[in-house]
Amino acid sequence: MQVVVEFFGIPRARAGVPVTTCGGETLGQVFTELAARFPELAETCFESGRLRPGYIANLDGQQFIDDPKTLLNDGQAILILSADVGG
Amino acid sequence: MHAYHGCYLRVDLASGSCQRVPLAEDVLRRFLGGSGLGAYLMLQEQAARFDPLAPEAPLAFVFSPLVGSPLTTSAKFAVVSRGALTERFNDSLASSGFAIAGKKAGCDAIVIVGQAAQLSTLVIDDGQCRLEPASGLAGLSANKTEQQLKAAWGADYQTAVIGPSGEQLVRYATISHSGRHAGRGGTGAVMGAKRLKAIAVRGTQRTTWADPEALHEMAKSLSKRSFGPATAKYRELGTAANLLTLNRLQALPTRNFQQGYFAGAEAIAPEQIGAARRQTRASCAACTIGCEHIYHLGDRSTGDGVRLEYENLFALGSLCAVDDAELVLKASRACDELGLDTISAGGTIAFAMECVERGLIDAPWLTFGDGQAVLNALEAIARRDGLGDRLAEGSRRLAEQIGHDSIRFAPQVKGLEIPGYEPRSLQTMALGFAVGSRGADHNRSGAYEVDLSSAVDRRRVQADDARLAVETEDRAALIDSLILCKFLRGVFDDLFAETAEMLRAVTGWRVTADELRLTARRIVTAKKQFNILAGWTPAEDTLPERFLETPLPDDPQASLSSKRLAELVAAYHVERGWSPEGQIGPKDLEILGLDSE
Ligand code: SF4
Repeated sequence: MQVVVEFFGIPRARAGVPVTTCGGETLGQVFTELAARFPELAETCFESGRLRPGYIANLDGQQFIDDPKTLLNDGQAILILSADVGG
Repeated sequence: MHAYHGCYLRVDLASGSCQRVPLAEDVLRRFLGGSGLGAYLMLQEQAARFDPLAPEAPLAFVFSPLVGSPLTTSAKFAVVSRGALTERFNDSLASSGFAIAGKKAGCDAIVIVGQAAQLSTLVIDDGQCRLEPASGLAGLSANKTEQQLKAAWGADYQTAVIGPSGEQLVRYATISHSGRHAGRGGTGAVMGAKRLKAIAVRGTQRTTWADPEALHEMAKSLSKRSFGPATAKYRELGTAANLLTLNRLQALPTRNFQQGYFAGAEAIAPEQIGAARRQTRASCAACTIGCEHIYHLGDRSTGDGVRLEYENLFALGSLCAVDDAELVLKASRACDELGLDTISAGGTIAFAMECVERGLIDAPWLTFGDGQAVLNALEAIARRDGLGDRLAEGSRRLAEQIGHDSIRFAPQVKGLEIPGYEPRSLQTMALGFAVGSRGADHNRSGAYEVDLSSAVDRRRVQADDARLAVETEDRAALIDSLILCKFLRGVFDDLFAETAEMLRAVTGWRVTADELRLTARRIVTAKKQFNILAGWTPAEDTLPERFLETPLPDDPQASLSSKRLAELVAAYHVERGWSPEGQIGPKDLEILGLDSE
């Protein structure tokens, strides 16, 4: 199962790329792979297999998700962004 | 009394008098400072009775108990009046040395009434006031005015000034200090109507702190946390980083809110232009975050820079469909110099562009996508030249002049132009806009935070979710009255409990989190009470019909009917303890201790 991961704001700065693809059946598995591939992203944005407070994931631009057990479908897009989008 | 001077200066520009008016400790404890104390002062001064641009209308600069303390981001002040755009309560916040110098002048607020005989500078030297002629400053930009005043009066004076837009009573003119602006609602026009070009203030009077040791420890801890991940976005990228995120969520207002997605967003995003144009970072006085990112214009060697915020990018970029980064930066700088609120300027220009497209305004030069036309329009607005004279009134008054039902798509609530959050995509924010006391506003509500979380379905927000809008508004009311920077909010585990400790350390009051929750409610209700006195009706708590008739074209699921918005508004009112229509009962006023104001 492959999903597209898009990074915004600080997650993009830490990952060093705007987008990547990633394997995983669940959100937690995607986080694990991302943490292994992008150590700086992991240090800033992940904690105990979840996103740290201040960061949030979104599925296909539609729904915000935070449960690592969330099941994913092939080809879905996971957006990782700063939660405090205010200006 | 610690942390306060226990008085405000009341300056009458007509008579030249300057009185020191006592502020009881009980009043200060119930309204704190900033927006809250400003609401109290506006009620006391009966500001709701006066046209905002009338000579008698009061204009208040309000400090806070934390100003002058070592707590990071606490050098802030509120400018409060009846709004020039909305004729409702208006509070705009700005930062830096003016707050510190103003409080050191020996007062907790400066209330200005009357009109000077000629364009003047109000000089406040350690609590002594005098007026000096300012005809030599007429027409000068905000920056140049500040430079000339510093040269004339010395660097120990801090100044708050208006640019040409304020002198011309543009209804969304700002008051500027050190490149920062009390931006929203037209405080600059209120100051201009008093023929007051500038206030220069200095002083030597410091307040004492009840528990300096505890305060010092708290300040250390807060500064440390301000370097952590919760503020990384502001430090490293600034608010401009919101642009691509909101665009991806189809929540980036584009072409006068006709779309939620801007194809040209990448071209103006900081991620794209940052490497080539980012020059340096800056911060307000007494701030350890430093969220201000300065971008250079044209050739880097000129050192010609401009602060770039998300709201400027959205209002002068996507809202007007401009994808030329250089022109968006220039428009942003033009607003700084002319003293214009970028959101209202961009919103009014974008509305006019749509009117041109629809044949309602005869100005073929003003078209979506034309960044030079935006620049020309800004200059015309600031000088009230030609069409600029009509645009200077803001989108609501312009729509009323044009007729043809154009009010349906004028991007405003209560006359204040809507900031960069598409209401159909972010419906808790839509509710916050509809009920906001100063009109459509993201700083006094902050409900976009709820939409950008898993707490709600942002495109199907229900009446039960209204309490979340109430909570964000209460938090904002507290932060804006203490005053701290909202960009710190992510570092608090429990805002009410932690700020109660701060307030205890500075004042010595045995304040609890629960007391501050009640204080926040009181402040929101005081603003609402002001609006009722100023003529508010329930019909005002809504959004323009565009948002209630048409789903967002590029995201049909983003749809908000007038019936559902009315349900959300009624639920919000009930959650506040008001009637479903938004009326405040005498009992509510009594509970909040507002019955005597
Ligand atoms: S975070 Fe930014 S706006 Fe807030 S006090 Fe610091 S520099 Fe000023």
